[in-house]
Amino acid sequence: MDIAEHMLRTGSRGFRDDLARAVDDLSRSVKGLGLSWSLAWHDVVSRYRGSILGPFWITLSMAVMVLGIGFLYAELQNIPLATTLPFVALGIVFWGLISQTVIEGCESFVQAAGMLSQTSLPMLTFVWRTVLRNLAALLHHLVIVVAVVAGFGLWRTMDLPLALAGLALVLANVSWMCLLTAIISARFRDIPQIVMSVMQFSMFMTPVFWQPGERVGLMDAVLTWNPFFHMLDAIRAPLMGVAPEASTFSVLVVMALAGWAVAFGLFTATRRRIVHYL
Amino acid sequence: MSRSAKPPTAPPRPDQAFISVRGLTLRFPVYGYDAKSLKKHLARVAVGGRLDQARHGSTTVTAITGLDLELRAGDRLGLIGHNGSGKTTLLRALSGAYEPDEGQIEVRGKIAPLLDLSLGIDPTATGLENIRLRGRIAGLSARQVEEKLDEIAGFTGLGPFLAMPLKTYSAGMQARLAFAVATAVDADVLLMDEWIAVGDADFQKIAHQRLLGLVERAGILVLASHDLDLIRLYCNKVMRMDAGVGSEVVPVKALDELLARPSVR
Repeated sequence: MDIAEHMLRTGSRGFRDDLARAVDDLSRSVKGLGLSWSLAWHDVVSRYRGSILGPFWITLSMAVMVLGIGFLYAELQNIPLATTLPFVALGIVFWGLISQTVIEGCESFVQAAGMLSQTSLPMLTFVWRTVLRNLAALLHHLVIVVAVVAGFGLWRTMDLPLALAGLALVLANVSWMCLLTAIISARFRDIPQIVMSVMQFSMFMTPVFWQPGERVGLMDAVLTWNPFFHMLDAIRAPLMGVAPEASTFSVLVVMALAGWAVAFGLFTATRRRIVHYL
Repeated sequence: MSRSAKPPTAPPRPDQAFISVRGLTLRFPVYGYDAKSLKKHLARVAVGGRLDQARHGSTTVTAITGLDLELRAGDRLGLIGHNGSGKTTLLRALSGAYEPDEGQIEVRGKIAPLLDLSLGIDPTATGLENIRLRGRIAGLSARQVEEKLDEIAGFTGLGPFLAMPLKTYSAGMQARLAFAVATAVDADVLLMDEWIAVGDADFQKIAHQRLLGLVERAGILVLASHDLDLIRLYCNKVMRMDAGVGSEVVPVKALDELLARPSVR
């Protein structure tokens, strides 16, 4: 008999030991990323079972929103449609990725209560599940991105590698937010409501639809101190053929490191308890 | 006569399954639904005083106290005890879901918790999709699932129904499917909360055979049950739990003596 699997669980032996366990959870969850993907894909399939368009329904409703808001804001802000429409389209698609991942992050552990309370599956598997599920949704919405990139000739000026680097940094950031909201929402059931309000508020404070004007006074403050502006701009600006702000990428790197340190610290401290919160 | 029967103390061979639990204590913080609200928590901080935790609904229940357990390959342990004595909690701790507060749990071998057959079952998905998903959750790789798919599908006896959503199944059919998937995984350590009996008379017979085969192949079985005949039938050792305290492990022939004791310690 070949027995490779071995499990050792002990009472808490201090922070360092807990940290080692949390890291072990992380490495097991990364090795088992295939399971996260299976669960995520199953979520996508089962959510749209029986519908003809499936996840493309969201894509379609986004497209309608893009057209409506694109035309309206072109008129309101007096900017040519050829600039506004791609701006709004990319804004809505990538804002959707950011806000949905953070909002759905709240349910990551709560939804998995059954599995967490009777198997030794790594907890972070369920965080990756949420992130991958939203990435799968993004793949559908890429139809819109491809349409504007082709339709407005953005491919001539865009910087695709930089946009992909931006996407990678955004994913690094949304995943720690996802972990953080997952833990706190498991403990306090008010959090999902708060997260939803915060994300809705942020949508209006972030240039998703509206073009940022002169960077003076309040406008400058809103853009500089809004993490979501940097996240969105890191993907959108390179696709639009504009250089993102010099500080954007460093802000995202620092935010990812600091965010992961906080979220992982909290995970280390609460990991033993999370299953009891559920 | 059985009091002298102690668990074997020889160190386990490295290639064999074993379970070693030492001084296991498990406490559950019970977060009352009141205490789950953030407002209460903030209010508590705002007041600034150090208030007794219990007054805010966050009390602690000690589910298992100082439990020791050593099992080797070939051991089939029956867990007995009243409701709430900690049997299921112990099984969940052995599955790796609960972290000990004190003491340690060491398990070598692949663990298959058959605690809840409906785990990971999605009623809106088809039978085949459920087999794939449940197999993945149980730790099979995508390829292993595909290899076992025919065998599992054949065992359910559901034939063309496997392409239909589970919600169109009768309760018995659903149970057949769940059982077939849950028992498709070869494991070294099998954890069961009550012996699983599902389906009609015919199915029960083959299900029984399959479960016996699984137990036979597994190194270790831990079965929590209130059915003493069942325990006499399938187990060779028993342990009694009483309010979170475990007795020593005795051979199953000493079951009556174990039951006759007023309490375990």
